[in-house]
Amino acid sequence: MKYLSTSLKSLATGVSLAVLGTTLSLSVQAAEEVRFTVAYYSAKTGPYYEALAEKFEKSNPEIDIKIEVVNWDVLNQKLTTDISSDVNADMAIIGTRWLVDYVEQDVAEPLDGLISEEMKQRFVPAFLSPGTLNGKVYGLPVAASARAMYYNKDLMQKAGASVPTTWDQLVDSAAKISKIDKTYGFGLQGKEVETDVYFYYGMWSEGGSLLKKDGSSNLASSASVANAKRLQSMIENGLTQPGVTSYNREDVQNLFKQGRVGMMITAPFLVNQIKDEAPDLNYGIAPIPSGTSRATYGVTDSVVLFKNSKHKQAAVKFMDFMFTTEQRAVFSSGEGFLPVLKSVSELPEFAENDAVKTFVNLLPEARFAPTIAGWSEVADITSNAVQAIYGGADAQSTLDKAQKRVNRVLGK
Amino acid sequence: MNRNLPLYLILPSLLLALFVISYPLYELINLSLSDVNRFGKVRGFIGLENFTYIFEDQLFIDAALRTVVWTVAVVGGTILFSVPIAVILNTEFYGRGIARTILMLPWAISLPMTAIVWRWSLNGEFGMLNATLMNVGLIDSPIVWLAQSATAFPVQIGLGILVSIPFTITIFLGGLSSIPIDLYEAAKMDGANLWQQFKRITYPLLRPFINMAIVLNVIYVFNSFPIIWVLTQGGPNNETDILVTYLYKQAFSFGHIGQASAVSIVMFTVLLIFTIFYARMVMKNEK
Repeated sequence: MKYLSTSLKSLATGVSLAVLGTTLSLSVQAAEEVRFTVAYYSAKTGPYYEALAEKFEKSNPEIDIKIEVVNWDVLNQKLTTDISSDVNADMAIIGTRWLVDYVEQDVAEPLDGLISEEMKQRFVPAFLSPGTLNGKVYGLPVAASARAMYYNKDLMQKAGASVPTTWDQLVDSAAKISKIDKTYGFGLQGKEVETDVYFYYGMWSEGGSLLKKDGSSNLASSASVANAKRLQSMIENGLTQPGVTSYNREDVQNLFKQGRVGMMITAPFLVNQIKDEAPDLNYGIAPIPSGTSRATYGVTDSVVLFKNSKHKQAAVKFMDFMFTTEQRAVFSSGEGFLPVLKSVSELPEFAENDAVKTFVNLLPEARFAPTIAGWSEVADITSNAVQAIYGGADAQSTLDKAQKRVNRVLGK
Repeated sequence: MNRNLPLYLILPSLLLALFVISYPLYELINLSLSDVNRFGKVRGFIGLENFTYIFEDQLFIDAALRTVVWTVAVVGGTILFSVPIAVILNTEFYGRGIARTILMLPWAISLPMTAIVWRWSLNGEFGMLNATLMNVGLIDSPIVWLAQSATAFPVQIGLGILVSIPFTITIFLGGLSSIPIDLYEAAKMDGANLWQQFKRITYPLLRPFINMAIVLNVIYVFNSFPIIWVLTQGGPNNETDILVTYLYKQAFSFGHIGQASAVSIVMFTVLLIFTIFYARMVMKNEK
């Protein structure tokens, strides 16, 4: 009996403590907490969002924004794990190409009813459309980029080469530059993220496409094979850096910064990197060479709101603040991305910037990753086929095999 | 005294171990027989579909065969190098303490870290390995080691051997110290040379320790992820993929949790069968 009474007593104490605890935490947590998972773009990303949250909280003291910065490499994996255990943040930055998986699994909230028409109108339409699925807006673009060709002016001059506008000219210029000791004409990416994209540039130029009209893979098209053979012969003739399949995008960019590569295709953020790390590099930016058609690759990252968030109104309020001219201008110039708001692109800092202009002018030709479930696997299959080709495998049969694998993933 | 008392005494830890092992295994089997979405939500029972999917995948078959090569080469190489090194370290010589420390050092560094350091050393542009080989005059122009599987995979095997040696030597040194010195003294009296001493005394008495090292190393190496992932991520063109990197891509890059669980079950079964058979065989021999 004595035992029972003690345990009852302790139970009572426990309950009262718990009640006390709840009331205490209620009074402390008067502010509504909104958690925001942010992708790491550079060392400036974290401080930018922290400052943004602080400014927002000043005018909205009832809302508390919690920023969590996560590296790109692990972002999708972290979000996936968080979502499956139901501890995800209220909103997050994601690669827009993942969005279709999120929408299909019903974890992303459509924003149409939550954001105003005026807010939607702020965005550059080309960047808002990748985040729109089945007629509904799920993701608002937070970062946007296109790809263009960077070239080293000094090397061009030394080699007597000209800035190419077609792929034939590119091969020609690359051959001339490669004759200079310890330099390579064309920097070719051969591993990790976007290896497939580096292959698409030339494929698109020849009139190729990722998918056929019926939605099945078009990887083994004649345009694709022609592009594969061209790149293969460039490798064989030493017009690229040796061992391409051990170079990811950053590795090739580093070669370019060191002035050892004549030309490479990459995103606008290299401009900022060169400014910081190789300020003396004499370089220019030109459109990606064309074949029968012109094309570049467009990429956006989106901010999404999760369906299980309990603070949707507060989160949208923060988005509204985030996508104002003043806040976005700081971000775009800091990180070196293209402006996603019309008003920002009209600011003199961007409208009169030659580098930005080159990229913006390419946008009408930009192609985005198709919004298809399982795209990351398709990209991986393609990258592997491309690596085999760069290693000397037969272009036609390798691409045929890869096309079959892609179709299996696409269910075609 | 109750004959079952020892059993009762180990029962709590036995139950705990059983739970810790069987619960994840149960979940894993469940997942491998289900249609699971990227976020781990089970959408229904689909029988053996995940298994047929992976067995129809050429990449899985290739990765499985490569895993066998990888395991045999790394474990075989490790044993081959570790036995003589352990024998040398067991003899008395000046600076033995330092030599032992140096050989054990790689063990103190985490595997991913070692692999990252080697990724730099193997770099085609400014890697230390190329610089050394060119200085010595073995090669004329730099080799981009990780650009093709023909050079990348052997390098990975070599690195696998390097990092497995310290652990294996530790086992062998323990074994060697249990061999009585008078056996060698007697052999010397009878005029046995060093090779005969090794063949007739050291090797037979070291045998149980070699067997243990083989079983433990096979289990570690078969499942070893960091070296291959850090150096090549299984590339180029999936040509250095082993089962565990294949599994990782299925689960975390493509969101095929079901298929990944099936791969995991296959790997578990292979290791289980190997361990049981090997343990049986060894025990029989020892009897």
